[in-house]
Amino acid sequence: MNIYLAALLKVVGVLAFVLGNAFILIWAERKISGYMQRRYGPLRVGGPAGLLQSAADILKLMAKEDFVPGGADLWLWWLAPAVALVPAVLVYLVLPIGRSFVLQNLSIGLVFFASVTSFTLIGIFMAGWGSNNKYSLLGAMRAGAQLFSYEIPLILSTIGVVMLTGSLTLQRIVAAQANVWFVVPQIVGFLVFYVASLAELNRTPFDLAEAESELIAGYFTEYSGIRWAMFAVAEYSNLFTTSALAVTLFLGGWRPLPLLAFIPGWVWFVLKTYVLVFVGIWIRWTLPRVRIDQLMDLGWKFLFPVSVANVLVTALVLAVR
Amino acid sequence: MEAQGGAPAVVERDGRRLMKINMGPQHPSTHGVLRLIVTLDGEVVVGVEPDIGFLHRNFEKIVEGWSYPGIVPFSDRNDYLGAITNEVAVCLAIERLAQIEVPPRAVYLRVLFCELQRILSHILFYGTFGLDLGAFSPFMYAFREREWGYTLMEKATGARMLYAYNRIGGLRNDLPDEWFADLEKFLVFMERQAWPEYMGLLIENEIFRERTIGVGKLTPEQAIAWGASGPVLRSTGVAWDLRKAAPYLGYERFEFDVPVGKNGDTYDSAMVRMLEIKESIRIIRQVLKMLPDGPVLARVRPNLRPRAGEYYSRVESPRGEVGVYLVSDGSARPYRLKWRAPSFCHLQLVPAMGGGGKVADLIAAVGSLDVIMGEVDR
Amino acid sequence: MALWDRVWQTGKSMVVGHAITMREMLHKPVTVRYPEEKPPFERGSRSVPVLKVNEESGRLNCVSCGLCERACPPSCIEITQAMDEKGRKKPWPETFQLDLSHCMVCNLCVEACPFDALEMADVVELGSYQVQDLILQKGQLAEIWKTSRALRVAGGERL
Ligand code: SF4
Ligand code: SF4
Repeated sequence: MNIYLAALLKVVGVLAFVLGNAFILIWAERKISGYMQRRYGPLRVGGPAGLLQSAADILKLMAKEDFVPGGADLWLWWLAPAVALVPAVLVYLVLPIGRSFVLQNLSIGLVFFASVTSFTLIGIFMAGWGSNNKYSLLGAMRAGAQLFSYEIPLILSTIGVVMLTGSLTLQRIVAAQANVWFVVPQIVGFLVFYVASLAELNRTPFDLAEAESELIAGYFTEYSGIRWAMFAVAEYSNLFTTSALAVTLFLGGWRPLPLLAFIPGWVWFVLKTYVLVFVGIWIRWTLPRVRIDQLMDLGWKFLFPVSVANVLVTALVLAVR
Repeated sequence: MEAQGGAPAVVERDGRRLMKINMGPQHPSTHGVLRLIVTLDGEVVVGVEPDIGFLHRNFEKIVEGWSYPGIVPFSDRNDYLGAITNEVAVCLAIERLAQIEVPPRAVYLRVLFCELQRILSHILFYGTFGLDLGAFSPFMYAFREREWGYTLMEKATGARMLYAYNRIGGLRNDLPDEWFADLEKFLVFMERQAWPEYMGLLIENEIFRERTIGVGKLTPEQAIAWGASGPVLRSTGVAWDLRKAAPYLGYERFEFDVPVGKNGDTYDSAMVRMLEIKESIRIIRQVLKMLPDGPVLARVRPNLRPRAGEYYSRVESPRGEVGVYLVSDGSARPYRLKWRAPSFCHLQLVPAMGGGGKVADLIAAVGSLDVIMGEVDR
Repeated sequence: MALWDRVWQTGKSMVVGHAITMREMLHKPVTVRYPEEKPPFERGSRSVPVLKVNEESGRLNCVSCGLCERACPPSCIEITQAMDEKGRKKPWPETFQLDLSHCMVCNLCVEACPFDALEMADVVELGSYQVQDLILQKGQLAEIWKTSRALRVAGGERL
């Protein structure tokens, strides 16, 4: 009984966090992009800062017609948003939020993370194929090529960290950063990881799957209402979790900065994650988009060899020591 | 997959299955209502067919029933980002046929406004081109300066976009003195802050260079053969600028360079426009120094009847050669007015520039042409 | 070392670009929050030709001469002359109707009017869901003149 209750609590907690977090992130993205472009962003709903804008949007989206395009593959069409959202929620399981605050301390945390996030691709592909729209199909094809090829440098770049720690457990990886964060010995790994994760997240400069000046909205062109909202929530949730993983692997997880240890670990964790999220938003509103072949070139001809070299150098250094 | 009526979604050619896809008329990057029928082989563009006519307003026929003064404000609506140059083109044709002497102050002010218009149009080009390539912030920054410039225009002419400022025989009104101080502030801002910012944020960005260098290439022969003009032609290295080649409004009095590109790709075409902003600022500075005093409007009979004849006036608009071919039969209404729109000619280049590239290259190519559908469809 | 150059170039342009967006972020927004605050109209902004009311007599300046009607290129002004019972013409318009839906705000009617009866007002919030609402009668035009700033700029004068 107790296990089930605990499991239920965890699920509800995670879901609430995912939603709330997506609210905050969407609001933050709009606000930050606004100020970056000398605008205000949302202003009217919920006080002068527009805090409740996301809530209002969700309400609006729920009230909208659930539009189904003619000739859609109904099963794929209906399931796609759910398939995209589920992995986004699942990965919260293994995030080490505080010193002893992790929902499930899996021994293969990192592998779990990598494998679950690659499910997102299936959701995107289902959406693109099921919509019976050529733009959606193009977007899904792009997403397929992109997510598939960036998975490899993403995982390779974390191997350096795993080698330094000797464990796949995320808690242990954080514990191993007691003296120095891994971003220092693994700076190359960190950069590769960050670039690859931007590509995994479909964000500018790698937002080819939903490139609005080319493909209108890519794979979710035909989606509207609450299904569209599920894609959006999944996207922002992924933004948070991927940044959180970067923090865990390279930026010391919940470890505080020296002299500021009185602030609890989970605050540090969330804070660092939000800083990375901010960097992601900053990049998005600065750079133009790359082209599909350049994206492939960057992934296979640059990031892949660099991450392999990083692994080799790490191995060499470890062997010499 | 089946298309919903109309052409088949998939066509077979040389044993490959190609996909026909409609870009526009409602599409985020078609600059108005342009429809491109694109044939795709995966990501590769095999064929493009521009389809126009969605913004047709029957300009050329309507003005045959109007008396001359009304044509000038209506011509604003053709190339709505280069309204002043349109007006000047019409006015030059009518004034020539009616043998009206325009006061010198009005001529200088026309030069000033043409150049200011060129700056504003190129600013917007920079913004929308960035948008086509997926960068959103440059668009917003471009609009910030553009709003400032349009406020200047509003102060001078009373309207922000469709000015109706030129009259046959000069300009509608003279300018207040403080206006010139405001203009100077704007120019200084453009030079010192906005221009370097544009370069740093977008034009010199490595991703932007990757996306544009070598994309949508044109040879000078191609460009000339298809009737390209303006920055598109100059990007291929042909230094053809009507302000130098066939000076009107006394452009020969001013000192300026004609920036040209080398490769005729989209990068050069963007770069040419960026450099033209600087040249326009230079010209405006000279105008401000040389500006004579005096009236700005010649006395013109209200019921204007130019002598019978024909004249082709052409000016260098921000997009290229705007030409007005005017035939008068001596009555109060034109017998025929033909509008030569640069964007119309440039659209023919889309298959040559976009074919063979990726979808993204096609978007970049169309963006770099800076077409205004208002003047294509007229 | 072409690769190294590329990496260096890329890195440099990225840093410059991000520095620019960050610098802009630290400045105040330039947005004018429209319904709450309105941008000022410049002197001489024009949006709709309106009928001027004589301050002393309280009547329209217009004498119904029809010159503006003829000057208007898209023919959006329609005037009928006022008549008394005996069929004699009276110097004011019976109806003066302006079809705002195809007025192109060109100022030609104002320039044509010899009696200083038309001016350009600077109201813009005239939008409506019905085209009929955009056909303004003389009473409405005079009302707009009274409640907004209107200006007559015609033929080469200094603004
Ligand atoms: S502003 Fe121009 S279009 Fe409008 S009523 Fe006057 S003359 Fe006609
Ligand atoms: S030109 Fe002036 S006076 Fe004559 S009808 Fe028009 S508004 Fe009235």
